[in-house]
Amino acid sequence: MSDKASSKRRHENPSNFIKLLRSHRKDALKSLTRMFFSPLSSTMTVIVIAAALLLPSLLFAFNTNITALLGEFQNNARIVLYLTRDTSDTQALQVSNNLLTSSVIDSVDFISNEEALLSFSDAAGFSQIVADFDANPLPASIVITPNLAGLAGLDQLAASLDQMPEVELVQVDSLWLRRLAAISELIGLAARVLGLIVLLSLCFIIGNTVRSHIENRRDEIKIIKLFGGTHSYIARPFLYTGLFYGLLGGLLASLLQALIFLSFRDPLNEIFSLYDSSFTLPLLAPAMLITLAFSGASIGWLAAIISAYRYVNAIIT
Amino acid sequence: MISFDKVSKQYISGQYALAGVSFEIAKGQMAFVTGHSGAGKSTLLKLILATEKCSSGNVVVNGTDLNHIPRREIPSFRRRIGMVFQDHQLLNDRSVADNVALPLDISGFSRRDALRRVRAALDKVGLLSKEKQFPAALSGGEQQRVGIARAVVNRPSIILADEPTGNLDPELSMETMEVFEQFKNVGVSLLIASHDISLINRMEYRTLILKGGTLIDDTGLGELS
Repeated sequence: MSDKASSKRRHENPSNFIKLLRSHRKDALKSLTRMFFSPLSSTMTVIVIAAALLLPSLLFAFNTNITALLGEFQNNARIVLYLTRDTSDTQALQVSNNLLTSSVIDSVDFISNEEALLSFSDAAGFSQIVADFDANPLPASIVITPNLAGLAGLDQLAASLDQMPEVELVQVDSLWLRRLAAISELIGLAARVLGLIVLLSLCFIIGNTVRSHIENRRDEIKIIKLFGGTHSYIARPFLYTGLFYGLLGGLLASLLQALIFLSFRDPLNEIFSLYDSSFTLPLLAPAMLITLAFSGASIGWLAAIISAYRYVNAIIT
Repeated sequence: MISFDKVSKQYISGQYALAGVSFEIAKGQMAFVTGHSGAGKSTLLKLILATEKCSSGNVVVNGTDLNHIPRREIPSFRRRIGMVFQDHQLLNDRSVADNVALPLDISGFSRRDALRRVRAALDKVGLLSKEKQFPAALSGGEQQRVGIARAVVNRPSIILADEPTGNLDPELSMETMEVFEQFKNVGVSLLIASHDISLINRMEYRTLILKGGTLIDDTGLGELS
């Protein structure tokens, strides 16, 4: 049999899979057309979904950026070792060299007590007072730049350095970092809780919208059932309705979030630069946009499945 | 094709809609079922279409025992039956062609194949020229013929009609019956519920007469009073 004849036969007797694809394409188009012909209610629904998605999404994005910022500050964290008075400069240099051999230490900077006094005198404008000192009260110190991520590692390193006999006091400037980390954790938790609430709310909003679509087509559904329409055949357009509402809501939420980021970007970057940070607020990442759109679509689809299952089955022929 | 064996249908209120009804409709046979309002005509059609289950007895349609049909198989069972309603049950937001195409759409036909069959069905009922119109623009008789085209488009083996001439004048009623006869002649079984005695008498087909849910007569010919 020729290829042409075989192709014609395939066209006239499509497989069930092809039939299903055709049916899905048609139902998706039908669903979009129905949304298009009720522009006001469709737009309102999409805006409500976008607004609901926007809040947890903003919190997530805010938290992600704080975490990134925190990471940068942690990378810039310093540990200062104040040495005992009986540690000579030679011993201190030896300690510095030993510290450099550690893999968790990036660099060390030894500051002798003379250098410290000079720096204090210059920086604070206390030259007259410093001149009246009988002896130099300031200790020698070693400033360590660790090669660690996370506050826990920093604490562990500080504790081990504190065991050294030459070290009088270890100072880790991390209190504000801890506060920021705690705030970040709280925001993350709030975003998760809010995300869950929004998930339930969206399920309700989209489910109710789909229910209203089903009720509007109750007579049609009855007739379709009498002519042998299956549950999936009847429900499919409504599932696409839920999917499209969620998807459009997610995309609108992405757009709004990008606009919010854009309007906050310059003032925040100015603040970061004042803190000598190279961190810059990014524009909305494509991954975030996809996540929002996908989340919206998934929630819409899920809500529509629940609603269609419940209300289509309730229509008795 | 259709077999009722001592079929009864009792509602929760205790009232019997059908009581011990037995009959058979063979392939290519056309029959009327008549009786006063509440006689059980519609219930009988509902049992055949599997929208309701009988309380006792056996209903077998197209070889399917409807007492034991799984719920998931009811849609495919219904696709082999064409139904004509008294109030037409057309979808007003769809064109005539789309209304007739509904059973084909449900069965997964491609648009092209469906259109070919829809045109053939509309041609048969004399409404091909109105395929793009909407039901609201048609007369009652035309709407009924659209309903008939929809019932036959999927080439069912059984056609059920519930008061198909209820809203039609005598002339249109006869035209509708002539369309049904065409399908009978190609092997389709038809069961028509009607209380139009004069029409039934004129048609001279087998008639099942129901009274209070009981089959009181199963005549070969009409001549009812």
